[in-house]
Parts: sequence; C-alpha cells; structure tokens
Amino acid sequence: MSISRWCRGVLVAVLAVTTGCGASGGRSEGASAAATGFTDALRQGDGRQACALLAPRTLEELEKSEQTSCDEAVTQEQVPAGDVVREVDVYGDQARVVLGDDTLFLAHFSSGWKVTAAGCVPRPEQPYDCQVKGG
Amino acid sequence: MRRFLRENSLSLAFGIGFLLTLFGQMIAGHADFNNRLVSDGMEPIGIGSYLTSSDFAVDVTENWQSEYLQFFLYVFVTVWLLQRGSPESKELDKAGPESDKDQLVGEHAPADAPGWARAGGWRRAVYSRSLGLVMGAVFLLSWLAQSVTGTAAYNEQQLRGLQAPISWAQYLTSADFWNRTLQNWQSELLAVASMVVLSIYLRQRGSPESKPVGAAHTATGVEG
Repeated sequence: MSISRWCRGVLVAVLAVTTGCGASGGRSEGASAAATGFTDALRQGDGRQACALLAPRTLEELEKSEQTSCDEAVTQEQVPAGDVVREVDVYGDQARVVLGDDTLFLAHFSSGWKVTAAGCVPRPEQPYDCQVKGG
Repeated sequence: MRRFLRENSLSLAFGIGFLLTLFGQMIAGHADFNNRLVSDGMEPIGIGSYLTSSDFAVDVTENWQSEYLQFFLYVFVTVWLLQRGSPESKELDKAGPESDKDQLVGEHAPADAPGWARAGGWRRAVYSRSLGLVMGAVFLLSWLAQSVTGTAAYNEQQLRGLQAPISWAQYLTSADFWNRTLQNWQSELLAVASMVVLSIYLRQRGSPESKPVGAAHTATGVEG
C-alpha cells in the first residue's frame, strides 16, 4: 500500500488530520512528464528545451562548472536518454523518476516540475552520484 | 454566560491556549521550513501548503502521541503503583481496582451515577476503564499518524538530498522515527516523575494537584 493511501485512509478518515504527504496521481504524472521531457530534449539535441526543464540552482551550477551557456553545456553532458518510466516516487514537492537507464530527481516550482539532478547512479549508504545537479 | 465561563474556565483556558500555540507553531514551522527550502535552492511554499504538509503533521503528531502516552500510563499505572507522601498516589492500602462499594458501581451506584456504572457485564467493564482506554487509543492513533507523516517528511528530505526514499516499514526501524519518539517520551516521563516526587515536599496553595499547605510530608492520597 502506498504512503499516499495510508495518508488518506488512516489520517483523513480516522483523525481528520491533514498531512499533505504522499503523491497524488496527477503529481506523479507531472514529474514523469518533466523527466521524460528533459531526456527527450537531450536525445534530440535541444539544449534550450532541456534547460527550460532544469531547476534554477542546477542550471546555475551547470553553467558555472562548464563555463558556458546552459544550452551548450547540457548537451555536452553524457546523460543517458532513457524514456521508459519504471518508478516514480513523489513526496511533498520532491520526486524521483527512475527511467530505463537513468534516474532523475525533480522539485516542484510555481512554474511546474523541474529537474534538480539527472544522470544519477545509486551508491550504497550515500546520495546518488549525479552528472548534472545543483550545488 | 459568566457562570458558564467560570465553571468551565479550566477547559476553556487550555483549549484556547492549545489553539494559540498550535497557530504559533504553524507560523514558526512555516518560516523554518522555508528557510531550509531556500537554502537547498527550492522555492518557498505558502502557509496553506505548509499546513497540509507532512513536515507540519509529523511535528504535531510526535508531540501529541507522547502527551497521550503520558496520561494513558499515568491513569493505568496509578491504579497499582503507589508513592508514599504524594498527592498523585492513592492511599497506601488501596492499590488495585478497589471494591464495587468504593467505586460506586452496580448496586452501590447512586441515583445520579452514569448508566453504564449501574449496568453490569461488558458495559461496566468498559466504562470502568474508559478514561485509560480513550487515552491509550488516542496515543496509538497519534503514534501511527506520526509514523505515516514521518515517513513522508523523511522521504521528502531524502529526495531533496538525492537519496532514495524508504518504505513505512523501514521507517519504523529508522533512527529518525525513534529519535523523534524517544526524545518526547523521556521528557514526559521526567515531568511525571518530578511531579510525583516534588509534590511530596512542596505545596501549591489552593491547587487540587497539591496537598494542603499544612499537610505532613508523609500524608498520601490527600489533595488540597
């Protein structure tokens, strides 16, 4: 049973306490769409579109580390261009989308879901090792 | 109206105090949460979003569960355990659930006794423990709510730090869950132990939580 259902079933029904935890279907879909939109843009070499889907701090960090504009820098990154969504986790305004051969982290902003890290590989007992990420 | 306020001032004062402090916690918690978001390069959220967030919910429920645990334990444990000289304890020869006569149930129930105190069977058995049962039930539900909202809040933080989320079952054995739980339990148990012991020797004139000012230190089960 997902956390989201726990929240609705246990807290709302029993205690009537609003919790805001877990993910609604719409939020999962929004995060998935942003993740695949980002990898699609990279696959098509569309740096501008990919950068439009990056979180502000991630974009800033990418330009700083590569010493060039985001449009150019993002297409130089060797981020796997996976397109099949295998797993989506959404908690509050944060999400992880696992694609066929890539894992992305996203955050929800007023302008929609934005990628905070991409090209991420899990490491035991440590944060993911990501090719593109914010500071 | 004035009479109503006077005769219910204890409940009203604590009820209003609860709402005011919950509001204060919401304001301070919202500011603290947004500080952390901005520090991590995220967008701050509005007060409405914070009010329905798992971060706010876990902070509220972790305190609720420990308070209700405190009263649940106190209500049940003081049936059997005693403390010489404390007004929080029963008299030393009254440990246990006491006789029907002492407890005014069944045939000993006065005319104005609650219906279930006069009744027999399961209704009397349940009503005889209803205070502790309700306190215990609210404790368990609040603790469950803490575990659920804590999982969501923990996972939101995990994702912000580029780490994998964990399941509810994994969260139940996590350091975060037990740190939140035990830090509240220890303070509640300390407060109860302090009240039991300090009330042997110290007095608060006019308070039913204290012995009369002139009562002996050895007087047990006497309230002022």
